[in-house]
Amino acid sequence: MAELLLDPNIRLWVFLPIVIITFLVGIVRHYVSLILSSQKKIEIIQVQDSQVMIRSRLLRENGKYLPRQSFAMRRHWFNNEETGYFKVQKRAATSQNPMTDPGMMTDMLKGNLTNVLPMIVIGGWINWMFSGFLTTKVPFPLTLRFKPMLQRGVELAYLDASWVSSASWYFLNVFGLRTIYALVLGENNAADQSKIMQEQMSGAAMAMPPDPKAAFKAEWEALEITEHKWALANVENEITAMES
Amino acid sequence: MSVVTKIKDNKPEPVAYSEAALRNNAAVVEYCRTSMAALSGSTAGVLGLTGLYGFAFYVIAVVVLWLMFMMKAGSNWHKYYVSRQSLLTNGFLGALFTYVLFWTFIYGMVHVY
Repeated sequence: MAELLLDPNIRLWVFLPIVIITFLVGIVRHYVSLILSSQKKIEIIQVQDSQVMIRSRLLRENGKYLPRQSFAMRRHWFNNEETGYFKVQKRAATSQNPMTDPGMMTDMLKGNLTNVLPMIVIGGWINWMFSGFLTTKVPFPLTLRFKPMLQRGVELAYLDASWVSSASWYFLNVFGLRTIYALVLGENNAADQSKIMQEQMSGAAMAMPPDPKAAFKAEWEALEITEHKWALANVENEITAMES
Repeated sequence: MSVVTKIKDNKPEPVAYSEAALRNNAAVVEYCRTSMAALSGSTAGVLGLTGLYGFAFYVIAVVVLWLMFMMKAGSNWHKYYVSRQSLLTNGFLGALFTYVLFWTFIYGMVHVY
């Protein structure tokens, strides 16, 4: 394997700047998205729905600590055919188009502004400014299949596969700095570009808002089949046995 | 890691885990793991390890970090973690990516040019 000799200026003016630029762009993205993010306006009816769901779930899971009559009373309040909450409340199925909602539209625009635009601009700039350099060499041997991945922009057929071109070095950084952002900025930061890339590749599946009608139906069924089995039936004996 | 995750009942069967505390512990472990990957990657790069030696160094670093967790947790590790094995194996590949990045970076800075 022929050793290449690289100009040390490449290290100072290409290799290092790409790392620093990628890192700092991530930081800036995080704070810009913090500035732009709008407080999600929450409908009171949604909060009510979710709280009812939580209460029903708690009743199902922990109802065994209630006396049978109390449990039946609470279930009756939820599930009664005429007056039960899940039966009475009629929620319109939410199938609204996000395009018609101006708030949603602004959010999407802001998301694009902070996610897609910097990626195109910075990626394009890196490709234009630092194109055609071999920057580094990975310290382990790789097979030829990695050549298009690691040597984007440098098409040399006989070059060893472990050399990395500048454009590929940029992408390696984009994907590899994710955990470092978690370290620096904390969890759930907005600096992560690779997540956005994955979302775009997977066809940008829009998160549908949960349909309260279907959720109510499911919860109603689950609560209906819950059987009350009192956990504290023998509690006096157990406590006295423990004390003695 | 000072949050107690386990609330023992009188009887041995029901064991309640505090989910917030579990998540906090996992986040702390993840921080340690990322730092370990970055530091050991830089070390491997400075030392100029290549090929399998570098990956062996990563495995050694993971095991050492695990031993340090065990030393820190002491004999009552049950209070902090559900299982010791998952502490060793969780996030192995994710941290490997960070390790390789830092290894490549420092190796390139020091040894290639």
